[in-house]
Amino acid sequence: MKINRRWLGLAPLVVAAAIAAATASAGAATAKGGSASGSITVWVDAVRLPAAKAYVKAHPKVKVKIVTFDGDGNGATTLQAKIQLWNRTGKGWPDVIFSEQANDPVWMASKQFDFAAPVKGLIPAKMLAKWPAPSRGQCTVGGREICVQDNLAQTVLWYDKTLMDKFGYAVPTTWQEWAAIGQKVATEHPGYIIGNAGDSYSAWMYLWADKCPISQVQTNGSVRINSGDSHCTRMASLLDPLIKNGTTPPENIFTPAFAQKYGGADPKVLMMPGPTWYAKDVFSGTLKIPAGHMAAAMPLQWNGETPITTGQIGGGPWIISRHSKNIAAAGDFVTWVTTSPVVKDKGPGYPSYAPAATRWLANLGKDPYFASSPAKPLQAAANLIWRGWSMVTYPDQPVWSNTVVTQLVAGKSLTDLLPALGDGLAQAAQAAGYKVVRQ
Amino acid sequence: MSASGPISKHPGATRKRGPRRLRGLPFVLPYLPLLIVFGIAPTIYAIDLAFTNVAGGWVGFHNFVRTYNDYRFGPAFKHILVYTSIWLCLLVVFVVGLALLLHGRAGRVSATFRFLFYIPGALAGAAAVLVWLFMLDPSVSPGSFLLRDVLGADIFAQSIAPGNLAYIFAMIAFWTGAGGWIVVMYGALNTIPPDLEEAARIDGAGPIGIALRLKLPLIRKWIAYMVILSFATGTQLFVEPQLVNQASLGLVPDTWSSNQLAYQLAFRYADFNGAAAIAVDLLAIGLVGAVLIVTRTGLFRTDD
Repeated sequence: MKINRRWLGLAPLVVAAAIAAATASAGAATAKGGSASGSITVWVDAVRLPAAKAYVKAHPKVKVKIVTFDGDGNGATTLQAKIQLWNRTGKGWPDVIFSEQANDPVWMASKQFDFAAPVKGLIPAKMLAKWPAPSRGQCTVGGREICVQDNLAQTVLWYDKTLMDKFGYAVPTTWQEWAAIGQKVATEHPGYIIGNAGDSYSAWMYLWADKCPISQVQTNGSVRINSGDSHCTRMASLLDPLIKNGTTPPENIFTPAFAQKYGGADPKVLMMPGPTWYAKDVFSGTLKIPAGHMAAAMPLQWNGETPITTGQIGGGPWIISRHSKNIAAAGDFVTWVTTSPVVKDKGPGYPSYAPAATRWLANLGKDPYFASSPAKPLQAAANLIWRGWSMVTYPDQPVWSNTVVTQLVAGKSLTDLLPALGDGLAQAAQAAGYKVVRQ
Repeated sequence: MSASGPISKHPGATRKRGPRRLRGLPFVLPYLPLLIVFGIAPTIYAIDLAFTNVAGGWVGFHNFVRTYNDYRFGPAFKHILVYTSIWLCLLVVFVVGLALLLHGRAGRVSATFRFLFYIPGALAGAAAVLVWLFMLDPSVSPGSFLLRDVLGADIFAQSIAPGNLAYIFAMIAFWTGAGGWIVVMYGALNTIPPDLEEAARIDGAGPIGIALRLKLPLIRKWIAYMVILSFATGTQLFVEPQLVNQASLGLVPDTWSSNQLAYQLAFRYADFNGAAAIAVDLLAIGLVGAVLIVTRTGLFRTDD
């Protein structure tokens, strides 16, 4: 009996706690004289909220109900739970969802959830053609294109030009040079950092960039998870001394402590491998690093190996519900928020829609916040994302967080933790119904 | 005043169970529909789900075996076991101890402290967790020196290290729940007739003797009652780890407790049958615990 009382408590809990219950019924446009465009409900994360609000402003005839939620970030499973519930009750689906998790479309397209509508016909083909091929590939599940990426999230090397000049370090081009600077910083300028390893997505930053095969879907549908591959172990041995000497701490960039320690008027972020959306949003917004410091360089190369490969962090998709009663308006909404100059030219992320990207990069180049224009490396890195890391139906980031980060914090080495990471990922994959290949 | 004298032994008055039972009915009646709709019916539904598959076919104990073999089952139940043990010990020792202490104090002091103890309980579960999330983050916590010097934690991730979690959740639960129980225990202590205490004092018992040898045995049933209820809620821990999972950006697994695992099975994997099997496991654990405590303490015995 007790159990059931608790169970009943779950539904409101998910709404209240997980979803930060910010139902911003944004100016539900008082539709002057019967709106032909009807109404839609959209679910967005906090970062995408301004874009949704801008749509409302520009489209007074469409009634948009905006619901903000955790965005399924850090490997949360909010959307899975919600869609399950909607599917069971047979109603309640929003028309459009934005997810921070690039993995999400894969399970949304599956038979079990069956949520995503193909974007063909909903987004004008001419425009759709201007999304880069890899981005469209990532949104194509089982031969159907069922999402559009909001932004591209290739990782580059961000660095503090002012500090690098002051300390007399040359901007590294290889991981080895980067690590060598880390060793120097630890003795010459302790307290400064050249990266961090405590984010839920740090594996996507370092292991993806070095082609570590721990999320590789094979042609037969099984997933290859080999954390003992040399591409994983060599990156781990490169990182271990840096984690130990404090120049790449296992701390999360979004914690208040991180901003306190490394951000502010006297920033300590000498370098930081990170995705394109770190740009102004994270360095200025989250870390409060003053203008004139940050710049970007090409993704780091592994000791002269070509081609250079890099990772991807985020690049969240927009998904249209196949249950939508107003699918045309839903399509219009997604098209607008991903392509409109109003939201895209100055938005936080590198737009995936090519014409918007060009304008965004131009704006970024002119932005006095940066010490030098980061446009070139960002653009070049877009084509360098390693393709051997597949999107899967299970969230892999929590496995990194709770098997690796918690232990790095306790002083273990990444090298020692790689087997546990592989095991954890394999278990998660098997629980999600994948066959797993461990070599 | 002392009404504790034997109530005239009308032999018929206690024998006639029939009308007496009927008299009790109106008191139970308002709760009965709720019990059926939110208690008994869902339980039956859960048991039905636990022994069937998606198509509704009988599968025996298959769901139980399957969930038992899940790689998250063992850790989740282990976590719950450790957490519940810590929490119950804390509750029994401190709630009873504090209630006994308070009962020995003068009226105003005791009332003030009862109020103080009760305040944290006024925060709903989720809000209390949020307060603790701040308390546990060394960069913002008012007790950061304690975190640094006692736990050796410089960052939030170290405060909520896997080994600390059971203690942390027990601490949160104690902090929010103990006050209410202290008030209940105090109420229980008030039912002890003052003449008994007086008699003990005349016989030479000191305050400690009275507390331990007189009061404690007399409130035994209330303690048992507290343990049964707390055992059930303890094994069904959900809110705290779920919120810490989100607040820690995934450092704490989202299947830390068994109830969370059931939730994940149901709403991530659409495996309602597996989830129901875990729910039934929890029900069984709760029932066994309750039966043990009831029989050991004579909770429902009326003849002593």
